[in-house]
Amino acid sequence: MTEPIGRERLLETADAALRVAADGIQVLAFHSWGGLTRFASSRIHQNTWREDIEFRVMAVVDGNRTGVASTHSFEPGAVARAAEDAVAIARHTPPDPDFPGLAPPSPVTTTTPFDEATANATPMERASAVAVALAEFPKGMDGAGYVETVADEVVVCSTTGLQAFGRTTRAGVSVLAMADDSSGYAERLERRFGDLDPRVLAARAVDKAERSRDPQAAEPGAYTVILEPAATSTIMQFLAFLGLGAKPYLEERSFMSGKLGEKIASELITIVDDPVAPDSLGLPFDFEGSPSQRVALIEKGIAAGVVWDRTTAKKAGTESTGHALPPPNPYGPMPLNLRMEPGSSTIEEIIASTERGLLVTRFHYSNVVNEKEAILTGMTRDGTFLIEDGRIARGVKNLRYTQNAIEALSNVEAVGDTTEISTELFFGGSRAPALKIRDFKFSSSTTH
Amino acid sequence: MVESGITELVERALDIARADGASYADARFLQEEWEAIDVQDDRVQGVDRGATAGIGVRVIVDGSWGFAGTARLDARDIELAAARAVEIARSCSAVKAASVRLADEPPNTATWATAIDEDPFAVSLEEKIATLLDASARMKLVPGLTIAEASIDLWRRTSFLATSEGARIDQTVTQSGAGIRALAVGEREVQQRSYPNSFRGHFACKGYEHIRAMDLASNAPRIAEEAVALMKAPELPSAETTLILDAPQLALQVHESIGHPIELDRVLGMEAAYAGTSFLAPPDRGSLRYGSELVNITSDATLPGALGSFGFDDEGVEAQRSNIITDGIFREFLTSRETAPEVGEARSNGTMRASGWDVIPLIRMTNVNLEPGDSSLEQMIADTDEGVFMSTNQSWSIDDKRVNFQFGCEIAWEIRKGKRRRMMRNPNYAGKTVEFWSSCDAIGGPDEWAVWGTPNCGKGQPGQTARVAHGTAPARFRKVNVGVRG
Repeated sequence: MTEPIGRERLLETADAALRVAADGIQVLAFHSWGGLTRFASSRIHQNTWREDIEFRVMAVVDGNRTGVASTHSFEPGAVARAAEDAVAIARHTPPDPDFPGLAPPSPVTTTTPFDEATANATPMERASAVAVALAEFPKGMDGAGYVETVADEVVVCSTTGLQAFGRTTRAGVSVLAMADDSSGYAERLERRFGDLDPRVLAARAVDKAERSRDPQAAEPGAYTVILEPAATSTIMQFLAFLGLGAKPYLEERSFMSGKLGEKIASELITIVDDPVAPDSLGLPFDFEGSPSQRVALIEKGIAAGVVWDRTTAKKAGTESTGHALPPPNPYGPMPLNLRMEPGSSTIEEIIASTERGLLVTRFHYSNVVNEKEAILTGMTRDGTFLIEDGRIARGVKNLRYTQNAIEALSNVEAVGDTTEISTELFFGGSRAPALKIRDFKFSSSTTH
Repeated sequence: MVESGITELVERALDIARADGASYADARFLQEEWEAIDVQDDRVQGVDRGATAGIGVRVIVDGSWGFAGTARLDARDIELAAARAVEIARSCSAVKAASVRLADEPPNTATWATAIDEDPFAVSLEEKIATLLDASARMKLVPGLTIAEASIDLWRRTSFLATSEGARIDQTVTQSGAGIRALAVGEREVQQRSYPNSFRGHFACKGYEHIRAMDLASNAPRIAEEAVALMKAPELPSAETTLILDAPQLALQVHESIGHPIELDRVLGMEAAYAGTSFLAPPDRGSLRYGSELVNITSDATLPGALGSFGFDDEGVEAQRSNIITDGIFREFLTSRETAPEVGEARSNGTMRASGWDVIPLIRMTNVNLEPGDSSLEQMIADTDEGVFMSTNQSWSIDDKRVNFQFGCEIAWEIRKGKRRRMMRNPNYAGKTVEFWSSCDAIGGPDEWAVWGTPNCGKGQPGQTARVAHGTAPARFRKVNVGVRG
């Protein structure tokens, strides 16, 4: 069992940095621990645990010269040395007229639930979750996936008097069912390990693998698609990366640039970033110590806003929304707790309403074709189905999509009534519903 | 070299693991220092200097793996980590008895370090910043250019590996890289050009001499002019045509469509739920035609200066050169001590690397190279009646078995009647792995062959980023689909 370090001891150690002479010092401290149990070929093959500590120190000299240095030691002397190094770097760095100054103290009123049971989950509890999942598997079908439990403590403090402390937990389970010529997948992330049911996830994955046996080739072309939450999440995460942060917006590289207030998607689509929602995995403050705010990004199809940190907000004459990444940050603020609001249709209703189309469980290895137009490409995997006459007709071999993501959100005909948090290969988790989209373009197919 | 206090901690971890019942144990101390500098236009966007250090303990108990890593480097915490690794391994029995068996490996004792001419961490910050600001300023002088970026990344990894079999390996790997990027932002598109390569530049296991040799400043105006020119260039039309790729783009093509599918852990399903598997199977060795007879692929961790080179992998196996594809026929996987016996190999070919002290080693590419041919870029273009020449990767995507791929490049030129003609924007191409490599009919010679670092190879859960490389020269492929628009 790993003991939390706690607010007071983290602040006490960080104080070693704050005492170093400079115009200003900010310390961002992380303490994280957790275990990840991976399984493949229906056995546990990688079983790991780690505990890390980091003190990331930003120093300010001459008002607007900054430097960042970090250490993974918990020794006050090492933290002070990191601060001295940050000061030395700052002295050798040109002045930055855009530097907004360190964040002032700001009361953080929201606390995030910290689940002791998740923080203290044992290897045997994770292994037992794997066993529960694999018990759902029929003979001849292999299981793979992970069970993870993680806890974090985060402190941001500075010479302005800022002191923010938060603790979070999260847990995730994924299950891949592999049959001879098909596969199925299910994943879920929550704050509490106890809220995950590996049996239900395994049953879903097995069902998909069973239903997609003997997949037939589907011709590339435009289809009505039903994206399950994991596939929706991929589209949303790429949109966030490309254009829902203030930096690409200000540089006019974003699909949102010059479009605020305009209709860019179906009125069924509302995307927000909400780090403080009870069912999000976020913290109540960002890595500059500013309070995290719920930001409407696309509201009923209207381009509503982007997220800001102190640097981009100063440039634009606005306020930070509490979405800063750890310093130094050449990428600008990012929405890390995305959610697409649910609609009113059950997945069964969406399928029943589709005369002919494809159902996509998840995408694989998506990437950007054109950043400003938000054109993406990627593959389907682990359960792609042809829908005919309102029901799932059969599994199909995987296809490559090459699609303008904004155009896809404009073509949404139905939104699922439930949401799930899914991860994406390149990003963290986001909460999304299923979507029904017309005229979604597939450019080629593959062999399986 | 690591301090004696550290070696004592590592030895203590091994003692605890063995006493608690591990039939095999290794303990790996790793300290990584880094420096990253980012410049945009006339501003320094950030200077990040840091270090991380910790010990990871990996054990086999009752045939199952366990691992625990900690940044807390005092004796009590290291002992707890070792005991925890054993407890974790024991928990595997809740599922199914495993029987991990490791290929034999002589317990090496060695000290190894990257050969560098100029310590990149000793070069002053002022000089590095001045180099980047100068290159950025030269790009910004080009009318129509919107954004200029420049960056330097440095790493130094000092590690000490001890195994219960007796290996003791002290290793220091130094890596350097830099690059510049010019962006032109238009109403509907952003066009970019990078030098020497995209995604933060060109990386090697070299010192600051690697960055000096790039001459970022002299190349800045050219790439800025190309980025601006791309805004007015015609879009590459869709066609099936002859495709010539430059060496940096070909490096990523090798990475995605050869480097990953030959990883034996993927083939055996160990990455199935996340990064995916492979279209290859063990019986394919010695029989599967992967490419044309011109295609020869090696995996070579011994290449001096290449980003994927080292003395010993994180299982203590000495760096090796392996023939992966010979005359187009697939011969060998990338293996580990656990997986090599699964395909009847007596010894690992030394590819296991961990991105940090806090994660287990995985099979990773070292330097997976397309060996040089006897052609040249000039010759390939001269005997191409109609085709496209593409340069510098911008985007990549490939399916979970590594068959169907699609790549985007920064720039292309049409080829007609043996000459490079108009610049074309938004070039991309798509294909299927074996079909594509089988269509290769020319590869550049040794003069045009260079090793290109790929510093951002992702794999594993928790996610790990490896720094690997690919030696390539330009090459030509027939009947390729280009201009894929969806």
